[in-house]
Amino acid sequence: MSYDLFLGCVIPARLPFLEASSRKVFEKLGIKLNDVEGFSCCPDPTGIEQIDHTTWLALGARNLSLCRNNGGVISFCSGCVETLKGVNYFINKDLTTKKEINRYLQKVGKVYEGKTEVKHFAEILYENLENIKKNVEKPLEGFKVAVHYGCHYLRPSEIIEWDDPFEPITIDEIVKALGAESVEYDLKMECCGNPVEKSDRDLSLLMIDNKLKAIENAGANCVAVVCPACYQQYEFNQRELNKRNNTEYNLPIFYLSELVGLAFGFFPEEMGLNFHRIKPNELFESIHF
Amino acid sequence: MSVINFDFRNQVIKHNASLSYCYQCSTCSGGCPVALLTNGEYNPRKIIEEAILGLQDKLIEVQDPNPWLCSTCQKCVELCPQKVELTEIFTLIKNKCFEEGKYPEAFHAQGQAVLENGIAIPYSKAVLSRREKLGLPIITTAPIEEIKTLLRQTNFEQNIIKREAE
Repeated sequence: MSYDLFLGCVIPARLPFLEASSRKVFEKLGIKLNDVEGFSCCPDPTGIEQIDHTTWLALGARNLSLCRNNGGVISFCSGCVETLKGVNYFINKDLTTKKEINRYLQKVGKVYEGKTEVKHFAEILYENLENIKKNVEKPLEGFKVAVHYGCHYLRPSEIIEWDDPFEPITIDEIVKALGAESVEYDLKMECCGNPVEKSDRDLSLLMIDNKLKAIENAGANCVAVVCPACYQQYEFNQRELNKRNNTEYNLPIFYLSELVGLAFGFFPEEMGLNFHRIKPNELFESIHF
Repeated sequence: MSVINFDFRNQVIKHNASLSYCYQCSTCSGGCPVALLTNGEYNPRKIIEEAILGLQDKLIEVQDPNPWLCSTCQKCVELCPQKVELTEIFTLIKNKCFEEGKYPEAFHAQGQAVLENGIAIPYSKAVLSRREKLGLPIITTAPIEEIKTLLRQTNFEQNIIKREAE
């Protein structure tokens, strides 16, 4: 099995360790990821799309026009996946839009018919759940994980077409297959607040504060995410919240690929876990992992 | 006082006919995390109402409610019993704000970055060396002239530059 890999911006250019763990996990599962030259920003569905929908479609369609793999294209980022699935949705829904976008693409010698299949890396992991179970060498005993699905992994369901928009199961199942516990918590389906940061930082911090409180109250000892925007929102803001509100948040945030990698027996250093701002070492010691 | 602008109203409905299905039940606002945390100051139902009425000045000039507070969580779209495509309508409204140069700086900064680099976050030296340490490949991104040509086609470059000139 093989897929084209769409990396986007945030992961490769700011959080490359998330890319490292993801690539290692796919390699171990025997799934080949093909790097493609010449991609631009996906572009950001919470940024560029909000200021110019047509530009968002044109850049997204150009990216998809570069994909050649029959298995389609995958991304480690929920934002990129929503954009690329969204481009397919809008282009295939309306012939006028498809013609308009292709008129622009023609000026740069490209054409896109709307046929490339797009998947989130967690979709592929879920489809390979049995394969994952077979590769678990070090079950994640003692990990009490608060699974954060994030919005764009699920919604709008008409575009994403994966899992349930309000009662999803896929990531919980993956986490459980690794030997970890998935802890239920209030506000599980709420937004992390990252996209609001661009217009109202205080509101954005309030949203993540509420989530962190609910997660701590439920007794979870770490969080699992599948989107780099959610990752940054959870990880980068704990120190700021502690400063502002006298809280004592110190909750390790894991990318799903990192949890899978740990269960596969990879060393934290080879996945770049040392680059996390909130080091997971304390957690590892406390649960004798 | 707000003035009804029929042309504006028709533009929105032409772009997304689902606007006319709304019967103002407020399910969207009930499920909206931002409406909850701002005590209704941000209110998706009200934005839709203003769009139905064609209140262009409220939506684009005054921006009350402020459409930039939408977290794009897409809950309202899932919950709407009338299948109104709220976030698509909000996107259209925000796109019109963009054309008028009335949008938050962070969106402009992202637009500028994409226009200049093809990507939203350029690769810093520190990240490149970190990538090397992690054994990650060198990434060849889009040729910037190609991106600029495309972004001139969609008027994006002109709109970004217009804001800089202001």
